[in-house]
Amino acid sequence: MTLFSARGLTAGYGPLKVLEGIDLEVNEGEIVVMLGANGAGKTTTMRAISGVIARHGEITFDGHNIQKVGPDAIVRAGIAQVPQGRGTFPELSVEDNLRAGAYVRRDGSGAVQADIDKWFELFPRLAERRSQRAGSLSGGEQQMLAIARALMSRPRLLLCDEPSMGLAPMITQELFQMIERLNRDEGLSVLLVEQNANLAMHMASRVYLLETGRIVASGTAAEIGADDTIRKAYLGF
Amino acid sequence: MSLPIHLRSGGLPSWAIRVGAAGALVAVLLWIPTHGSDSLIDTCTTATMLMAAAMSLNLLLGFTGQISLGHSAFFGIGVYTTAIGVTRWGWSPFVTLPVAFAVAFVVGVLVSLPALRIKGVYLALVTLALGLVFPAFVKWPKIEWLTNGSRGLDKTGFKFNKANPTYELFGWNPWGNLRGQNVKPFYFWVGVSIVALVYLVCRGIVKSRMGRSLVAIRDNSTAAAVMGVNLAVTKGIVFGLSAAMCALPGSLSAIRTGTVTPDSALLTVAGSITFLVIMVVGGSGSLWGPVLGAVVYQFIIERTSDWSDPNNIPGAVRPLFSWSDVAPGSGIFALALILLMFFAPFGIVGLWHKAVATVVAVVPRPAGTASVVPQETAQPES
Ligand SMILES: Nc1ncnc2c1ncn2[C@@H]1O[C@H](COP(=O)(O)OP(=O)(O)OP(=O)(O)O)[C@@H](O)[C@H]1O
Ligand SMILES: [Mg+2]
Repeated sequence: MTLFSARGLTAGYGPLKVLEGIDLEVNEGEIVVMLGANGAGKTTTMRAISGVIARHGEITFDGHNIQKVGPDAIVRAGIAQVPQGRGTFPELSVEDNLRAGAYVRRDGSGAVQADIDKWFELFPRLAERRSQRAGSLSGGEQQMLAIARALMSRPRLLLCDEPSMGLAPMITQELFQMIERLNRDEGLSVLLVEQNANLAMHMASRVYLLETGRIVASGTAAEIGADDTIRKAYLGF
Repeated sequence: MSLPIHLRSGGLPSWAIRVGAAGALVAVLLWIPTHGSDSLIDTCTTATMLMAAAMSLNLLLGFTGQISLGHSAFFGIGVYTTAIGVTRWGWSPFVTLPVAFAVAFVVGVLVSLPALRIKGVYLALVTLALGLVFPAFVKWPKIEWLTNGSRGLDKTGFKFNKANPTYELFGWNPWGNLRGQNVKPFYFWVGVSIVALVYLVCRGIVKSRMGRSLVAIRDNSTAAAVMGVNLAVTKGIVFGLSAAMCALPGSLSAIRTGTVTPDSALLTVAGSITFLVIMVVGGSGSLWGPVLGAVVYQFIIERTSDWSDPNNIPGAVRPLFSWSDVAPGSGIFALALILLMFFAPFGIVGLWHKAVATVVAVVPRPAGTASVVPQETAQPES
């Protein structure tokens, strides 16, 4: 079943048009990977979906049109984003960063605390540093925190913008396993932007290839991986 | 950890220290109006006004990262709401406090509208314009019937008379002597009440869900937006509250001095800068920073106010200041500001934290003993 879909999505920054009308779909329970060169518009796509930049086109989530909906209502509807780079709040403690992730939740501080403890069990390294400033964490720890924080809003769709950036290969693997586990066990749908195509393709249900604001190829991971021209031109393996 | 003293957060000794500090604060507050000289009471009352103004700015700038150089205008709105209410419409001075609060809140929210789209230097400029325009606006001929233009208004204060009662608590009068001419302790307590109110509002906000969202906006506003923080509404409320709280000490100033002129220092941009510097020297983004900053500022200003005459300068530092024929208070404070920025960018409070950290280790609550007890589903599935 289609969870999220965008038809003719355009977005940009002021006069600069970046997305030239793209079609995108995430079905329930899928991990969809978006690949593309630097500057292709991947981050812009994420921002447009979250509603933090002006966008046009037909955008639906869970059957509702969300094109005119503000970013806070989009989070409440069930879309959370892990922004590219260190998107944590450096002056808040690790624990308060997680609490900030639950900003839109209305189910009481007990349930929020239970979720926080759950993430601390999954990321023991964060638990050890729970009352430390988030700004004092290492890059990888901050990335873990950013993901846990996004999941604190209990989203149905997670937008993940290059979560592996700056992480050691081992940690990247762990992180991807974790995303897969969340997808398998909790039915979390994921739209993942990734430079490490090889790694990302392994867990992808489907793949989109973005080039200068246009989708130039899409299909299942197997289809895309099997296409020699695409592989040589975009994936580099 | 090899630090000599270990304090557990929330443990008994840490509570004892807090209770002790609160006791000492209350003792000082009671001592000032009952045993202090008139000039000390005056100094402290002025300090409370600066505290409240700097704290309100701190909520906006220190916690939310939105600069304002227009807080003198919000202070001025307090001053003029009270002055106009009392002189033109015959209101009782203390009725004007909530009115000033409301008026400044509305103006603050309006100012936040452009602030939604601009940041940093541009926001500084827009709010600076507000600060610059305010005294000119008050002098505008078309509203002279209300504000009396550059001549200002007088008899804006509270009228004490012999019939005013003296309140006694167990034979002791905390207000000081309200009879006769000495009403200074009374204004001191009004000032302290305003500071207490502003402190409680700031503390309530900062420690709450909203407070986290403010720091989130300051640290990374895009990330805050994708957490679901409504930037427009949150910034609007904070701007409004900050403006409203800054109007309270303005009202007190009109009630206390009984006269109002559009060019008095705190109503011009110089006032905004004063609030800003007090906030930064005390410690921005800290609840107690502006309180300490205001005390230090007012103390330096008072102590050096007659130093324009070299004979009044104490011998030891006379060579340093005798060349100048103006009181060097603001200059000394500015120098302190520069030095502090080098050694303690988080102001006096930051300096204090650093000093404490070298002798006391605060041990956080161990994991899993948070005050909110987690229920049911705390087990991860794996
Ligand atoms: N805030 C901004 N203001 C103006 N232009 C921007 C802004 N952010 C991105 N752009 C432009 O939009 C285009 C697409 O940028 P985007 O960040 O979406 O690329 P990306 O695919 O995420 O690249 P990368 O792999 O490097 O993260 C770029 O040409 C960039 O210069
Ligand atoms: Mg990007």
